[in-house]
Amino acid sequence: MEAVTTAPVELDEPDVRSSVSLETPWVTIVWNDPVNLMSYVSFVFQEYFGYAKSKAEKLMLDVHHKGKATVSSGSREEMERDVQAMHGYGLWATLQKSGS
Amino acid sequence: MSKPFRRARGGRYAATLHPAEADLLRSLVAQLVDLLDAGSGGAETDPLAAAVGIDASAERPQDPVLLRLFPDAYAEDAGAAEDFRRFTERSLREGKLGSAHAVLASLDAGVAPRPDRLELALDAPAARAWLRTLTDLRLALGTRLGVEQDDEARWAGLAPDDPQAYVHDVYEWLGWLQETLVRALSKR
Repeated sequence: MEAVTTAPVELDEPDVRSSVSLETPWVTIVWNDPVNLMSYVSFVFQEYFGYAKSKAEKLMLDVHHKGKATVSSGSREEMERDVQAMHGYGLWATLQKSGS
Repeated sequence: MSKPFRRARGGRYAATLHPAEADLLRSLVAQLVDLLDAGSGGAETDPLAAAVGIDASAERPQDPVLLRLFPDAYAEDAGAAEDFRRFTERSLREGKLGSAHAVLASLDAGVAPRPDRLELALDAPAARAWLRTLTDLRLALGTRLGVEQDDEARWAGLAPDDPQAYVHDVYEWLGWLQETLVRALSKR
């Protein structure tokens, strides 16, 4: 997903860790829960991230069988947006630094 | 008996409910609205911050249902999770309330050609609202019931007059309704 980010006027203290890295150091993780329907989780991945059905199904099955799946990566701000969107859909999601 | 969601003319999604089922849904959605309203705390609200969707403070909910509807965004950083809550929970709550009210509105807009059936015809935005609200209702009931992965035997083993058995039946029915709506929306 391509999104235009307009930098806000210093709302929070600057995060040095995420501002110096050239990599995409943050990831959004969706965790398995016993309530959400598999079909719905796959639908959300297709609708929100624009993933192809095959990729959405694979991620959904990873969530179901492995307990979690990394569904997106990018800047911390982008991942906070994705996590907020997932919570809006009722999915259990968190963000963290990649590899941590 | 209800009839599942299906694609209908004009890009709509149709379903047929028994009026008793529609009443049950209204009652559940009204309870969800109450829960979301109660969860807004509102002890100290800075009106300016509120206008841009930020809470002066946003406490981690004590109620397990609210905690499931508004989970921690950071698993291992309580401070960052609290900041996230402060900046997002208000707009998340308003989104969930908006979906809940859209569901109530489409129930009110249902047509009853016969006293024993209520026909719904949702446009695409209403269908999305239904998906989200059915999810929130199932999360709430599932959390209260303590639903776990692969626990069908537990529910099948309950006595028919066990109140939990009825709640679980409702939970399952909501899941069936949602499944048919996801399927209808997925057909291209």
